[in-house]
Amino acid sequence: MGDAASSVERRDRRPASGEGELIVDRTLSVASYRVRDLVAGDATRWEDGALHVDLAGVERAADELPGLRSMTAAIVQPGESTRIASVLDVVEPTVKPANPRTTFSGHLGTLGVAGVGVSNRLDGMAVVSTIGPAEQLDRVEGLIDMGGPGAPLSYWSRTCNLVLSFDADPAATLAEVDRSIRIATLTVARDLAATTVDHAPDESESLELGPADGGDLPSLCVVMQVASEGPGVDTLIYGAPVIGIMPVVMDAREILDGAIVSGAYDHASVRNPTYFYQRSRLLRELIAGHGSRWWLKGVVVTLGYLNGGFEKQRAAVLAAKLAAQLGAQGAVLTTFSSGNSHTDTMLTCRACEELGVRTAVLIVESNGGLTDFVPEADCIVSVGNEDELIEGWHPDRTVGGRDPRVAPADDDAPVPLRDYLGANCQLGDMPIGVEES
Amino acid sequence: MTVVHYINQFFAGMGGEEKADTPPFRLDGATGPGRGLGLEVATTIGCGDDYFAEHEDEALSALLAWLEEARPSVLVCGPAFGSGRYGYACGVVAREAAHRGIPAVTAMHQDNPGVLAADGAPYVIPTGTSVTSMRETLPKMAELAGKLSRAEAVGGPDEEGYLPRHVRRNTIRDEPGASRAIDLLLRKLAGDVRTEAKPPGDFVAPPPPIADPAAATIALVTEAGCVPQGNPDHLPSRRSFTWLRYSLDGVTSLSADRYETVHGGFDTAAANQDPNRLVPLDAARELERDGRIGRLHDFFYTTSGVNTPVAVAAKMGQEIAEELVSSGVQAVILTGT
Repeated sequence: MGDAASSVERRDRRPASGEGELIVDRTLSVASYRVRDLVAGDATRWEDGALHVDLAGVERAADELPGLRSMTAAIVQPGESTRIASVLDVVEPTVKPANPRTTFSGHLGTLGVAGVGVSNRLDGMAVVSTIGPAEQLDRVEGLIDMGGPGAPLSYWSRTCNLVLSFDADPAATLAEVDRSIRIATLTVARDLAATTVDHAPDESESLELGPADGGDLPSLCVVMQVASEGPGVDTLIYGAPVIGIMPVVMDAREILDGAIVSGAYDHASVRNPTYFYQRSRLLRELIAGHGSRWWLKGVVVTLGYLNGGFEKQRAAVLAAKLAAQLGAQGAVLTTFSSGNSHTDTMLTCRACEELGVRTAVLIVESNGGLTDFVPEADCIVSVGNEDELIEGWHPDRTVGGRDPRVAPADDDAPVPLRDYLGANCQLGDMPIGVEES
Repeated sequence: MTVVHYINQFFAGMGGEEKADTPPFRLDGATGPGRGLGLEVATTIGCGDDYFAEHEDEALSALLAWLEEARPSVLVCGPAFGSGRYGYACGVVAREAAHRGIPAVTAMHQDNPGVLAADGAPYVIPTGTSVTSMRETLPKMAELAGKLSRAEAVGGPDEEGYLPRHVRRNTIRDEPGASRAIDLLLRKLAGDVRTEAKPPGDFVAPPPPIADPAAATIALVTEAGCVPQGNPDHLPSRRSFTWLRYSLDGVTSLSADRYETVHGGFDTAAANQDPNRLVPLDAARELERDGRIGRLHDFFYTTSGVNTPVAVAAKMGQEIAEELVSSGVQAVILTGT
């Protein structure tokens, strides 16, 4: 997973007229600190590739937050016989050294435009939030297996993980619990990355998206579907739920730099934990090829899981309109969750094709194949069959919230792939596909 | 390798139509086409085509008991070519064996009803409609049966020559989805359109509109999870594998104190205030009263349409449709969520 998008040096191609670019001549510099070891220690500090974590200190991040009874922190390493259960979100530790309060802009104090300036990130590490049985939430399936047959299906079986287990106050509202867990998780992620300030990174890269014109290169964009249905089934941009928005254009680097945060905890294999926005393979690859293989015209963020036919049609048409307005000849369409939202994806595909924007669609299948289909969807990338059963496994330990409503009574019972967090990522981060037999 | 072969009375040399009522039989070694497989067939089992069609449960229980006894490493059925009854029996026997963990291969014409009966569980090799394609079919069956018997990896339908089973298995690819999507998009822009997934192709053509609604019997069907208060029959909120039928005899409207929804896929607060918005009984009764529809069917049908595998949903739809057709219903108002 460590193939960082390389920077594209295009300093010699300034815009001739300065027209047409949404965001001109900005750079995001990403300093990567490779975490080679994650160890418990008396003080939280960075030392030559080892992150020492004061676990008791980390646990205090939840002290003053409403709706939480406690938070415990545990270290989980690659190769362990450990299952992390009832995962809510996964976050890559990152900090904006110039003003740490703008990290995960809108959530931790100050708003700033994401995707510019410098960010330090802890490479190969994740902060994982989990919850025990909670009155406020329906079953939370999200599994990460560090070993066994589920490990190749678990993106974070390869990262050093700091697992935060939250215990919610039964008297609190879901909105309260949800917000507090998010703030605690993002705060921990930011503060861990902050230990790297003033240390030399292993690698620095500059993500540039100069003016996108000229030559024979194809013009591409992404139409990224997210969903926002309230606490627990939400997506937040710049600190607020996106419910009700019209499709909006964002810079790919904003998304990589923490502008989109997940607040969705259902349908584990097909939702996008925050980590997938921060490390989106699709966005990094499109930035890397910008100016040499194609022009990346922008990212249209649109809503799926909309309630009715009119709402779905409207979002599809307006997202397609923005893709066409950006001048894109081709668009990669991503999908959020399964079932209902697949109709949004298919309508968006049709609307794009009708406006002359050719599409490739990332979507998950079930045992029944595709949930919805339009004939215009002639170029589909299948990110797997979410119904397939994965054989049972006996981990030595289970970390996180072992929800009896989810945990199989018998560890030998097979688990459907849909319970593995991010396994069928419809942003395209996983290597899973489907073959017919 | 233990091979069991299923055939009908004709290929067992017992006789034609006049012997089609032969009950299940068991013979040692290979018989008829089994001799041409080039495999060592331990046991041949079979049944008359009419007997199987008319006594499916009895025939199956005898045949499956013999299979359990022999516990073969592979079951070969047919080939049945264009014969509908024989093909159906081959499809069902192969399917039931596969469901019990016995790898199975059969062969028949692609339009044979046995292909549907097989339901994607066994491998079905396509043949011509008549026995003249026996010679080319047997080696294909034998080769696939050999692989299955030795538990070797079986390739895709194009490679191995069987009909697509629409079984979609996960595989780890060299590239993540994002890279594949960019690659396919660039190819498409260059005129080379490729896809990793196609619709299954079982589209149902809409029937013609009913000629006279005022003379028609109309039924109400929903996947909205509408049930009597308290959910007495335990309809699941998600992953329902069952549907339920409730009487509308004397009911003119679905009141909030007598009905509710247990659907696990949407915010049910508004629907629970007026369950007529799940199953539009109030409006349908009005149409009935005004003579704009002939009459409303005596029951409504319900399930929860969340996370149910599509194949299960299709089967439930077929079951409900069969019941409606046999009850003389001409049209359905199907409400979804």
